[in-house]
Amino acid sequence: MRKIAIYGKGGIGKSTTTQNTVAGLVEMGRKVMVVGCDPKADSTRLLLGGLAQKSVLDTLREEGEDVELEDIRSEGFCKSLCVESGGPEPGVGCAGRGIITSINMLEQLGAYEESVGLDYVFYDVLGDVVCGGFAMPIREGKAEEIYIVCSGEMMAMYAANNICKGIVKFAKTGAVRLGGLICNSRKVDRERELIEELASRLGTQMIHFVPRDNDVQRAEINRKTVIEWNPEVPQANEYRTLAKAIEGNTKKVIPTPLEIEELESLLMEYGLFS
Amino acid sequence: MTTETQPTESGDIAAIEGVTPEQLRAQLLDGLPSKTQRKRAKQVLVNDPDSPPEIGANSRTIPGIITQRGCTYAGCRGVVIGPIHDILHITHGPVGCGYYSWMTRRNLARPKPGETNFMQYCMTTDMQEDHIVFGGEKRLAEAIREAYRIFKPKAISVYATCPVGLIGDDIHAVCRQAKEELGINVFGFSCEGYKGVSQSAGHHIANNGVFKHMVGLDDTPVEAPYKINIFGEYNIGGDAWEIDTLLQKCGIKVLATLSGDVSYDQITQCHQADLNVVMCHRSINYMAEMMEKKFGIPWFKVNFLGAQSTAKSLRKIAQFFGDKVLIDRVEEVIAAEMAAVRPVQEEIKAKHQGKKAALFVGGSRAHHYQDLFADIGITTVSAGYEFAHRDDYEGRDVLPNIKIDADSRNIEELDVEQDPVRFRPRISPEAKAKLVEAGFTFSDYQGMMREMKKRALVIDDISHHELETLIKTWKPDIIGSGIKDKFIIEKMGVPCKQLHSYDYGGPYAAFTGAINFYKEIDRMLSTKVWSFVVPPWKN
Amino acid sequence: MLNSTTATISERNALVVNPAKTCQPIGAMYAALGLHSCMPHSHGSQGCCAYHRSQLTRHFKEPVAATTSSFTEGASVFGGLANLQQALVNIFGIYNPDIVAVHTTCLSEVIGDDIPTIIKKSREEGKIPEGKVVIHANTPSFVGSNVTGFANMCTAFVTYLAEKSGAEATPTNVFPGWLDPSDMREIKRLAAELGAPITLCPDTSDVLDLPQTGIYEMYPKGGTTLAQLKGLGDSPRTIALGKFTAHPAAEALEKKCGVPFDALDAPIGLTNTDLFIDALRQAAGVEVPASIEAERGRLLDAMSDIGQYFHNVPVAIFGDPDTVIAVTRYALELGMVPKYVFTGATGKAFENRVHELLDGPCPAAIVKAQADLLELHERIKGDPVKLIIGNTHGKHIARAEDIPLVRVGFPILDRVGHRLFPTVGYRGAMRLLEKFSDALLDHHDRTCAEEWFELVQ
Repeated sequence: MRKIAIYGKGGIGKSTTTQNTVAGLVEMGRKVMVVGCDPKADSTRLLLGGLAQKSVLDTLREEGEDVELEDIRSEGFCKSLCVESGGPEPGVGCAGRGIITSINMLEQLGAYEESVGLDYVFYDVLGDVVCGGFAMPIREGKAEEIYIVCSGEMMAMYAANNICKGIVKFAKTGAVRLGGLICNSRKVDRERELIEELASRLGTQMIHFVPRDNDVQRAEINRKTVIEWNPEVPQANEYRTLAKAIEGNTKKVIPTPLEIEELESLLMEYGLFS
Repeated sequence: MTTETQPTESGDIAAIEGVTPEQLRAQLLDGLPSKTQRKRAKQVLVNDPDSPPEIGANSRTIPGIITQRGCTYAGCRGVVIGPIHDILHITHGPVGCGYYSWMTRRNLARPKPGETNFMQYCMTTDMQEDHIVFGGEKRLAEAIREAYRIFKPKAISVYATCPVGLIGDDIHAVCRQAKEELGINVFGFSCEGYKGVSQSAGHHIANNGVFKHMVGLDDTPVEAPYKINIFGEYNIGGDAWEIDTLLQKCGIKVLATLSGDVSYDQITQCHQADLNVVMCHRSINYMAEMMEKKFGIPWFKVNFLGAQSTAKSLRKIAQFFGDKVLIDRVEEVIAAEMAAVRPVQEEIKAKHQGKKAALFVGGSRAHHYQDLFADIGITTVSAGYEFAHRDDYEGRDVLPNIKIDADSRNIEELDVEQDPVRFRPRISPEAKAKLVEAGFTFSDYQGMMREMKKRALVIDDISHHELETLIKTWKPDIIGSGIKDKFIIEKMGVPCKQLHSYDYGGPYAAFTGAINFYKEIDRMLSTKVWSFVVPPWKN
Repeated sequence: MLNSTTATISERNALVVNPAKTCQPIGAMYAALGLHSCMPHSHGSQGCCAYHRSQLTRHFKEPVAATTSSFTEGASVFGGLANLQQALVNIFGIYNPDIVAVHTTCLSEVIGDDIPTIIKKSREEGKIPEGKVVIHANTPSFVGSNVTGFANMCTAFVTYLAEKSGAEATPTNVFPGWLDPSDMREIKRLAAELGAPITLCPDTSDVLDLPQTGIYEMYPKGGTTLAQLKGLGDSPRTIALGKFTAHPAAEALEKKCGVPFDALDAPIGLTNTDLFIDALRQAAGVEVPASIEAERGRLLDAMSDIGQYFHNVPVAIFGDPDTVIAVTRYALELGMVPKYVFTGATGKAFENRVHELLDGPCPAAIVKAQADLLELHERIKGDPVKLIIGNTHGKHIARAEDIPLVRVGFPILDRVGHRLFPTVGYRGAMRLLEKFSDALLDHHDRTCAEEWFELVQ
């Protein structure tokens, strides 16, 4: 089983990218579970056709100890398995703890056991590695491969670099490695070159450049991934390519995060500050 | 126990069991990991009463060291506020914190007829995982409502535990809403266990809360000729009752004892006192200072532990009021009490003169109990506090020089102003000046070190390793400490008196208490138990 | 005494009053003390460690050594890595145990400290000396109760240390669950009497019931050794005594090393002891000697001699679930009628197990998990019992209602017997029988009309 976590700056399109990529994998016949680690609980709605999934934490709160795997895991597009961790409303409680609780619960209930026959589990994690809870998916024995969704925008690159720092910390003692950057294009000038350069400085690769395409929005409005909504459009192929690239990826590294000065000079070089 | 090397009555401690204080200090520090050793070196000192060396007190506890210290919550809920017996104390957090502070501290209460006693009730919101994730404010609000419905208290006090601080529950907002909704006083304490470096931070937080939310609420006049409050007295084993009885005999009225067997009303009215006297300086000096600033009530330090100290404290109170009738009355009371004390004291002193005690406890007891031991000829050769600050060791004159570190800075300092209506200097500036000229001290605490022998060993926040080494080397005859150390010490064949719980004995305060203490120490030093350790076939 | 309690059952959803449980870490600390040369370490604020050490000391009246990461506000924000590493250096440098058993607290759980990563890093950086062992259990205080913490730490013993080496090992594993040292000692005595070699894990006898010798040893001779812990995986069978505190580790061992287990209740009372002896007999392939049958016979004889005083006596039983389940069964054997059976611990398993025992003989019994002592008191006020069986926290209800209390379980803070004499086995049952009947008869003698005050009973 490949254990993958997708990180990236908030609003960068992590959930969209994850679900579309997963759609590519399940279309190829892979068995995939997606675990949404975002209190908004919107990491699986495209796979589920807009179905509001009851989150692990909400279930736990209502059912107490009598939670069954079926209560918290739903089947989506092409038999993908979907779980939403859920969490508190903004401004209260501890969302990080919520992630810890959810993943522990999934383990207890046997969601990862061999009998399930998973080829992949994807964790779609909110934003940055901001505290111990948000690092839960990259702890030992959990996700082993990280993909960072980013774009040529400055803050997205800052965030990517920061996430690399988190990975370094856990990579020292565990098996977690960086699989690559996924560029979710914002149509910034020289974006592809910039991210390729950032990737190489980080010691990794840009595993795929996902062009900006309104079909993604169209599919989303229909509460579907692009592949399900219209398997023929070019964007569907982009995600298929990304899925295949991940499937075939063997380059997994401990990243080498950049100093802030280096990151800024990189941006200068590529004309952002000019 | 061998007592061959006795410290001289007045002089320095030269060597005990052939080991000088300097040598013992080196032994205590020897073998510690280097970083730990550097830190401990500042907290283990050879005393100089004339010029106390600077001690590294109130600094962070070293992780991995077996320490005596507890947390901020324990200092706040457990020590300072817990003894208020007719308000409800609700701990907001997982079950443990509320559970462990449920009648484990021996602050006895004997409410007057008609008063309620909630001391036997432990209340907690028993937070579960979903309250941590989704926030616990709603649960707290609900718990307060339920508590009010069932118990109808005068006031409700809420305590935050570690996870509450982390997840950011706003307990003060919940309390404000509850106060409005229920029409009773409801207030909260942000006393999360991770704040500060010991219980001490909790005392400060508690002082602030009591001052803000209780003191001065009720101006119903309390009439009595000499009205005082006793601060920093927790009625362990009934000590406050002994002190109260003694003062009553002298004609002095205690409005409130903070906090031992005290009611909500007593606290809300206690700003009408003429004088505040302070027992435990560490835990309550903040309150004394704030009340002086706001209401004009002067304060000074007293000690009712030890017959000599009790007499001295009584005389000082009488001198403050300056009334001949009171001064004479106090002398009569002392004479009568001492008549009962003296024979017991002399008999026991004759048996134990020259023995050695070591005291490692609290923020004042390690100092106060030296006087009781001194009454019966026992010298304290080593002592240290668990959570005191430099001023408790070196005296309040070092206060301006104490460096405020990050752990203290996050504890609120209240900005107290003179009350425009109720501020009234209890003593005229002229009378005060006259007293001071005669050697009378206000707002005073000399600290422990000035009153200990030269070259006694002072050990702040003693660790298990140091205690063990000290016992093996200096072989004290008796040790005063707490529950966590007691049986370590006794396994080594040394009797240990718990000075937090009194081993469920006491009272030990005032003259009557002193007699109990002498007899108890005599029992401990005379018990046959230790003589049976070696079986006859091994002799 | 508890003057604000009334016979009305107060409606509560959020407020717990006088809990019948405490939090996980104390259980983990107690379990770790049952390993030889082990330092329990509390990863959180130092207050937790202080509270747990104090409470354990009050119960055992023995030294309880344990260390803490002493979190400050900074550590709570930045994570506890530095504190735990510094702690490990100091613990091995100063106290030099063979094993450090780390448990977490609500504080370190909320911030999400990753203990296995910290342990690994510390080992790589040489902060854990060669040959020394550091294990951990997650024990968030806001989940489960003290018994959960005990079970989690026992499970960690297995997951970290048990091995299946393939060696021929004969000892039967006995997982005693949360019992007193005197009980652990009695289990070992019974096994020796049977001639059945056992590995008891954990084993707090000779750790927390030490003789007075004038010498303090931080790591006394008792406790399950590292070699024994490793050997757990080679044992042919485990007998686990208690659903809540013993079965989880046995399940973990079965999963890890394929060692099957007998899931029994704590061996308190006649039947529970019978089941234990029988399981051990079969596991070890031995015959039960006449001496044990005679012990059993003497217990049974006393039960028949004094049974009249127990017949139909309504009792309330509260405390930790494994103790309460076992004591309830014994109360039934004695002819008593358990009326209220309460635990503060969470778990439908408790209610289900007690209902299995009581639904036939006492269908009216009120059985509750996650209950507190305020509710127990309210119910007793409304419909009293003649005897309360539980820990020291029952003493206020006992006094308020003038009902005798027999102290069983944890904590016992105000009596000494539990440290000296067992509750388990036939002898333990004899001791309980004596305590129950003394309590009932003393109360009768103190309160009955003079004409009914009799010399012979």
